[in-house]
Amino acid sequence: MSDHLLSMDEMRQVDDYLERGFKVHYVYENLSGMFVEFGRQEEEVCLQILTADARKYFAAKLQEQTQL
Amino acid sequence: MADLRIDFAGIKSPNPYWLASAPPTNSGYQVQRAFEAGWGGAVWKTLGEPILNVSSRFAAVSFNGQRVAGFNNIELITDRPLEVNLQEILETKKRFPNHAIIASLMVEPQQEKWHEIVKKVEAVGVDGLELNFGCPHGMAERGMGAASGQVPDLVEKQTHWAKEVARTPVIVKLTPNITDITMTAEAAVRGGADAVSMINTINSLAGVDLDSWNTVPHVAGKGAHGGYCGPAVKPIALNMVAECARNPFVNVPISGIGGISNWQDAAEFMLMGATGVQVCTAAMHHGFSIVEDMIDGLNNYLDEKGIASVMDLVGKSVQRYSNWGDLDLNYKVVAEINNDVCINCNKCHIACEDTSHQCIDMYTESGRPMLKVREQDCVGCNLCSIVCPVDGAISMVERMSTIAPMTWNERQSLISSFDR
Ligand SMILES: Cc1cc2nc3c(=O)[nH]c(=O)nc-3n(C[C@H](O)[C@H](O)[C@H](O)COP(=O)(O)O)c2cc1C
Ligand code: SF4
Ligand code: SF4
Repeated sequence: MSDHLLSMDEMRQVDDYLERGFKVHYVYENLSGMFVEFGRQEEEVCLQILTADARKYFAAKLQEQTQL
Repeated sequence: MADLRIDFAGIKSPNPYWLASAPPTNSGYQVQRAFEAGWGGAVWKTLGEPILNVSSRFAAVSFNGQRVAGFNNIELITDRPLEVNLQEILETKKRFPNHAIIASLMVEPQQEKWHEIVKKVEAVGVDGLELNFGCPHGMAERGMGAASGQVPDLVEKQTHWAKEVARTPVIVKLTPNITDITMTAEAAVRGGADAVSMINTINSLAGVDLDSWNTVPHVAGKGAHGGYCGPAVKPIALNMVAECARNPFVNVPISGIGGISNWQDAAEFMLMGATGVQVCTAAMHHGFSIVEDMIDGLNNYLDEKGIASVMDLVGKSVQRYSNWGDLDLNYKVVAEINNDVCINCNKCHIACEDTSHQCIDMYTESGRPMLKVREQDCVGCNLCSIVCPVDGAISMVERMSTIAPMTWNERQSLISSFDR
């Protein structure tokens, strides 16, 4: 998959979790990219974000979440 | 006609163009001819205990047929006795009372030596002093020039000694052969400097002769490191000026030096915080008369912009020079190719394919070769537009970002609040 398609896919996943009512609980970054732990009631999921564009996009979404 | 006069730390000059301390300002004959040609000021070839020079002294770096892209020298300060220089300064000042004459000085780091030379040069009516803490070769081995200019405490102390007796403004000329020039600029200000100037030359070896295996230049088969200047050093000098201009502790005027060859270079240095500029290599390459175009060009530029005085340019771009961490990560530009003017040399395609992000596609339309940028993959690096030989064939165009501006620093602080 091209970087662009992969980043689109990752951004879609971020949107998807947020639309389904998940909130960002934890964020950490390491050599493998960014890891975001989303939570909704008892449910916890971890999304790994690889592409630069999606990591920028996620930060903007996180900013929106903090401003809600 | 705009007003080109400057007031540099109290030193008045009919225009911002000074010759830097170097061979063009070696004698009264030369400085007077330079003033006749239109230069506003001259920093006299550095005065100190007369030295001995070697032969040969200079070398230049050509790049793809462009002569003197960079210039290298192993020349030292003046080799003429102080009294001869002082007599010629006196005569020159008498003939050109409204031009700026600055005495460049270099002596051993001892209080009485600084006192002695400052008093002697001020007695002949110089408008200011420039302390040469920058010469990277020859003098440095004797504890002077860059050797003392690389040690902030020595810069501060020697500036202080000069200031103890100086009645005219003291400019401290800094060496670029240091990791962070603001450290020595701050030291100069702590020592009481009225202004700083930068840059002196950068440590260099111009080349090695592939036939004889001698250094270029060489002196009887031996070489020593020299100082590099000319167009190649301009970006280094401009950054150093800008770093000092935006440093709140370097709150004195800056004289910009390094690779300035035309009015555009001068205007850039002034926008980045220089109150005036000094020129050496361009004058050595083309002669004193280059100043005519520099004056005309600057005048026209100011008139076109509706700016009354060149002093109004000073520092106007400084607030735009920031830290990487304060740049907007979400700002986006992409390359756009105008196939109407493109000559299909394919340099942009090769550059992007081999060394950037593989997003310039080649195709044919009605049998004609065409190029198109796949915008979604273009990172806006500028490389294709840099290598393109045709003006206007590639433009970098802004694309509205769908996400709000965010800097790296803002992002890190946001993310850290979601750390475990
Ligand atoms: C041959 C030569 C001799 C120089 N001698 C001196 C000197 O005596 N004192 C000094 O402060 N700078 C000296 N410089 C440095 C210049 O004043 C100036 O700082 C440097 O060349 C950068 O400007 P440019 O790129 O316009 O040449 C010399 C430079 C050259 C090329
Ligand atoms: S700006 Fe960079 S990434 Fe975009 S097309 Fe040009 S070379 Fe490729
Ligand atoms: S480098 Fe410029 S002229 Fe050459 S193919 Fe690309 S757009 Fe056309």
